[in-house]
Amino acid sequence: MTPNLPISSDTVVVGCSAKIRAVFDFLRVISGSESTVLITGESGTGKEVIATLIHQASKRKYRPFVAVSCALFSETLIESELFGHERGAFTGAVKDRPGRFEMAEGGTIFLDDIDDVPLGMQVKLLRVLQNRTIERLGGTRTIPVSVRVLAGTKRDLKQMVAEGKFREDLYYRLNVLPLTLPPLRDRREDIPVLMQAFLERFFRSRGEQPPAIAPVVTQAFMRYDWPGNVRELENACERIAQMCTCGTVRIGCVAATLLFRAGTRPPEAVVPAAPSAHLPVRISMDDRVRELEANLIRWALKASNGNKSKAAELLQVKRSTLGDRIKHCGLELDHHAAASGDAAA
Amino acid sequence: MVTRERVEAVLERVRPFMQADGGDIQLLDVMGNCARIRLTGMCVGCPSAHMTLHLGVESALRDEMPDFDTLHIN
Repeated sequence: MTPNLPISSDTVVVGCSAKIRAVFDFLRVISGSESTVLITGESGTGKEVIATLIHQASKRKYRPFVAVSCALFSETLIESELFGHERGAFTGAVKDRPGRFEMAEGGTIFLDDIDDVPLGMQVKLLRVLQNRTIERLGGTRTIPVSVRVLAGTKRDLKQMVAEGKFREDLYYRLNVLPLTLPPLRDRREDIPVLMQAFLERFFRSRGEQPPAIAPVVTQAFMRYDWPGNVRELENACERIAQMCTCGTVRIGCVAATLLFRAGTRPPEAVVPAAPSAHLPVRISMDDRVRELEANLIRWALKASNGNKSKAAELLQVKRSTLGDRIKHCGLELDHHAAASGDAAA
Repeated sequence: MVTRERVEAVLERVRPFMQADGGDIQLLDVMGNCARIRLTGMCVGCPSAHMTLHLGVESALRDEMPDFDTLHIN
């Protein structure tokens, strides 16, 4: 049996930022490991994708991969879901049913939203992790299981331990190999790569050629904060692929709410990222910094309708400093030209 | 209160994007709690873009001015 999962290291889209490369370097290091991995990351950062990749890189890849969200079940249901039950264990338990741990025998189980496991259940989970045996609900037999455990969480478990909401012993059991997925807004340089890949995929699935993307669309996407991370970006791209009528991705294809939010952010991310570490080209740091400075000042002047005191406030610099910087960036002429242009119009 | 200035301030948040793509969003007039705008540029003929912008701009105006009523597009 070959793993029949929609995700593989060939199809997954990741980007090339230093932050995500660090994640994948770490994955390579732990690929031979059998230890528990605790994957922490905001919603939509790809915890389940990473869990699948960890499974596929492991020796267990030809055995089952079982993913279960612990947020879906109530306290009693989660026990029966994970460990199974015997006939008659509770009303409605008409036959024996294996739990997810048994279904994952020989393979990997991914316990997502582990932070949602109720305290009472955490003790039972800890016992399973320690003894590698389970007991079905209402059963007396102790069943040994050989299952690699991966856990996922949106919240900071350590913080929850401090607040008394998560058992410390279970935390240490889970946090053997900690892996943190960065939110998309912390790796904005990956946004163009990801959006291009997603758009290509969605356009091809409609039987169309991958579209041209107007540069301003990429800029808007890079300035938006993506609270739903890669999942939200993927959905935005699917939306565009379904709605675009002209074959080119232009600003009108982008959800207006996204534009409004992106418009409230200074365009710092628009400055081109540093070249890849594999390309030892020479770039002038002074020029780059001046470019960034000029972008920010232009934004602040625009946002404050040309009022320099207000602009200085937005940028949290002294009014006199702003004046110096404007001169330094050669924006003085620029600014006057714009102002006189407005007057003439 | 719906004023020309406040409507302009909201439009100004998306205008740079539109202009960078060769289009524009112009405020024609403000009548009571309604406003009328004109969209220009490449996306004008696209029904999806039209709907997205219409609804998006209208809801942004309402966020800013709770008494805003209707946005008309010419």
